[in-house]
Amino acid sequence: MKKKDDILKIGKYEFNSRLLIGTGKYPDFQTMKVAADISGAEIITVAVRRIDFNAKENLLSYIDLDKYILLPNTAGCYTAEDAVNTLMLARELDVFRTDLVKLEVIGDQKTLYPDNEELLKAAKILVKEGFTVMPYMMDDPVLAKKLEDIGCPVVMPLASPIGSGLGIRNPYNIKIIKETVSVPVIVDAGVGTASDACKTMELGVDGILINTAIAGAADPVNMADAMKKAVEAGRQAYLSGRIPMKLYAQASTQMEGIVF
Amino acid sequence: MKIELNGNEYSVEQNGITIQKLIDELKLDIKSTAVAVNKTIISKSSYAEFMLKENDKIDMVTIAPGG
Repeated sequence: MKKKDDILKIGKYEFNSRLLIGTGKYPDFQTMKVAADISGAEIITVAVRRIDFNAKENLLSYIDLDKYILLPNTAGCYTAEDAVNTLMLARELDVFRTDLVKLEVIGDQKTLYPDNEELLKAAKILVKEGFTVMPYMMDDPVLAKKLEDIGCPVVMPLASPIGSGLGIRNPYNIKIIKETVSVPVIVDAGVGTASDACKTMELGVDGILINTAIAGAADPVNMADAMKKAVEAGRQAYLSGRIPMKLYAQASTQMEGIVF
Repeated sequence: MKIELNGNEYSVEQNGITIQKLIDELKLDIKSTAVAVNKTIISKSSYAEFMLKENDKIDMVTIAPGG
């Protein structure tokens, strides 16, 4: 498939890039800006927080709103009610050009694993409110189906815990999720380095959301470039159809015509 | 009179103040500011009329770094 025809569709929105990035944990806003630019991402996630009246600079002045779609998240919310209220409040901000939202309802402080029950509850309310809900979820195919059934036009299973850099811990579940739902699957959280991103894309998922692996790298801008290439390479390899794995060798040079 | 603004005590003129006036006073960009009063979200269209009362708890939010 030609790359230009390979579009990521989330609800009514279409994207050329399959790499989504976060804006957290960068050493400074300028580094975030350059990394975002080089990553080729079209969607970048942000949090909604109380204004710091003493702040010397603000994130917004480093983001070109004509270039990126800002995706508000519900990081730090532990109940459906808090997550819904956060996004309803976010809706009053004119910086969000779309109704896309990243829904996360955390269930445990140590693992930052999502709370399935609260996630479903919040997703139902937000879908009814007209949001295009992108739920961060466990790598659970049953839950993925439930979220699709209630109207989420994408599901976002984790590869491993947020910020852990452990890479994809259960590739089989991710594959099953991909086969279970007909909406796009974006792997969100856990990628550590470029090979993780590439392998994840090779499974056939539709995109990856990466924050810490880029922002926390010794050279975030260079890592953003590496992630961009890894996501593209993984996607291209998936579309190309890899060879099956075999236990024994298969000569790549023909034997016919051999002299000695 | 005193209100609570983003968790801190804040003094405004005695006769009360609208949300719009408070935003102007703080030199905030209205496009990137959302407001809740006593945890109730206030729509932008009512900022000009909404009078804040003594001891109201105001949350003013914007975007922040996040993943």
